[in-house]
Amino acid sequence: MLANPDLIALWITLKLALTTSLILMIIGTPLAWWLARTRHFSRVLIEPIVALPIVLPPTVLGFYLLLAFAPDGAIGQGWWLLTGEYLAFTFSGLVIGSIIYSLPFYVQPLQVAFENIQQAQLDAAATLGAAPLDRFWSVVVPLSRRGFVTAICLAFAHTIGEFGIVLMIGGNIPGETRVLSIALFDHVESLEYGAAHVLAMGLLIFSFLLLLLVYSINRHWQMRFAGAH
Amino acid sequence: MQIAAEIQLQRGSGFTLALNLTVNSTGVTALYGASGSGKSTILRLLAGLERGAKNDHINIISDNKIWQNSHQFVPAHARGVGYVSQQAQLFPHLSVRGNLEYAVRRRRSGTSMPLTEVSHWLGINHLLEMSTRQLSGGETQRVAIARVLLSGAQCLLMDEPLGALDHAARLQILPYIDALRRRLDIPVVYVSHALDEITYLADKVYLIDQGHITNQGSVFDLASSLSINSHLGDAVAAVVEGQVVEHDPHYGLTRLRLGDQSLYVSLRSEPKGSTLRLRIPARDVSLALKIPSETSILNVLTGVVSEIESVGEQPGLLIRIKVGEHYILSRITRKSLAQLGLQPGMSVFVQIKTVALLTDQT
Repeated sequence: MLANPDLIALWITLKLALTTSLILMIIGTPLAWWLARTRHFSRVLIEPIVALPIVLPPTVLGFYLLLAFAPDGAIGQGWWLLTGEYLAFTFSGLVIGSIIYSLPFYVQPLQVAFENIQQAQLDAAATLGAAPLDRFWSVVVPLSRRGFVTAICLAFAHTIGEFGIVLMIGGNIPGETRVLSIALFDHVESLEYGAAHVLAMGLLIFSFLLLLLVYSINRHWQMRFAGAH
Repeated sequence: MQIAAEIQLQRGSGFTLALNLTVNSTGVTALYGASGSGKSTILRLLAGLERGAKNDHINIISDNKIWQNSHQFVPAHARGVGYVSQQAQLFPHLSVRGNLEYAVRRRRSGTSMPLTEVSHWLGINHLLEMSTRQLSGGETQRVAIARVLLSGAQCLLMDEPLGALDHAARLQILPYIDALRRRLDIPVVYVSHALDEITYLADKVYLIDQGHITNQGSVFDLASSLSINSHLGDAVAAVVEGQVVEHDPHYGLTRLRLGDQSLYVSLRSEPKGSTLRLRIPARDVSLALKIPSETSILNVLTGVVSEIESVGEQPGLLIRIKVGEHYILSRITRKSLAQLGLQPGMSVFVQIKTVALLTDQT
């Protein structure tokens, strides 16, 4: 079964999306919290940098990442010293690219959710004896559940659908960097419309089901907490 | 827990806070003043929710522990104080029980009353499984008070806790806050701009105006102070505290002890020995030099004139009379003052037409 190149591409795609989403949760959550709460002047600069991938053509981002990933590039060199491996045209490089590319899709919904949490609620938790990390887990996370669901699903789905950046920095190496969107492109190029249909329809249905899930979860919580804040 | 604070704080808008205050280890310390006077900021500084800027000088010490000075800062969660604000800030993602258990799980050392006892006392047992958004305003505040008690707070900071409630709900909750000091012996700092709440609850009062303390003292002294009351017109009333001595159901009266004298009020349900706060309007107090005989007025006390308001244009003026430990105010006319020849130090008979319990007032 693993011999089927499309299934291998599916496996690579899922691995990439899961790894990217997981790392985004770790680094994107504190970043979203900082953006939502800070009054530091550097926010003015950081916020557009985070949002840049939304407006930038993926090929532009991919082009600069490719340069940075080169063995003598800024990131590539450091990575080589650290791990003894190259970044360009590897799965690791793809993960780093996806993190940067999907960052705004994770950070922005979460930032909005964090901004909606009243400081007074956190003050109440503090005067009940909750330390900062405790306040985050016991008040911030449950009150921004909708933000988390939206952020995780968008980051995951967005990574699955990414094409231009993968082509630039990952190439098309089966079992390493060949993801579903690239496999679909290959099928179309070789006029294999039947196989292309399977992938295209699969991605379409998957995306629809994911969004259906997000909206119904959010609606469910909205009804439970209607008028609560 | 005892707290001493020295606060010198400046805000960009030109607002300054400059005052020293102490919170005794028992009783209710009230901060009274108009909104915008800085009361809430003081409370937030005591709670550790605000810290001031670099140039501010803030020293707060609690029981010999430094909470804040120029080098140290103990954050809110480590101070062991509870905080109740006008918006009770119950957590919407938790049920009423969930909110209470949140506090129990983070309980500091101190009192360890069980959840069931606290919720029974505050009358919220039937609300435990409800969502917080199903509660009325009064219920919400009672849950907030229960939650703060269960957190093991050793001092309660209350910022206009009744500010969002209607009159009926306020009267319903005031006795609970009153009982905090009588029953639980937890010091309370109470911020309000409502005079009736202050006179009902406070032991010590700080009058705050534009970031400064303009007056301080016991609630009884301040309520009967001539300089504070001279502009209040007909609303002026002294506040005294008496102990229930006996009930007389036949005449529908309860006798209270006020120093070594007696005072009658309409029949109360409180047991003998309990302490009641009374409000005595100055316009209902008249003075006589000889003991009035054959009068329908039941309450006649003896006292000594302690202060007379300086004579102005208006026909009436206020006299402050010391009765035992307490002060009573009387509003008389200038003509009466001249006829009686009242002077500070003279003994007088004080006739009180009406005595209202603080809970009875509207």
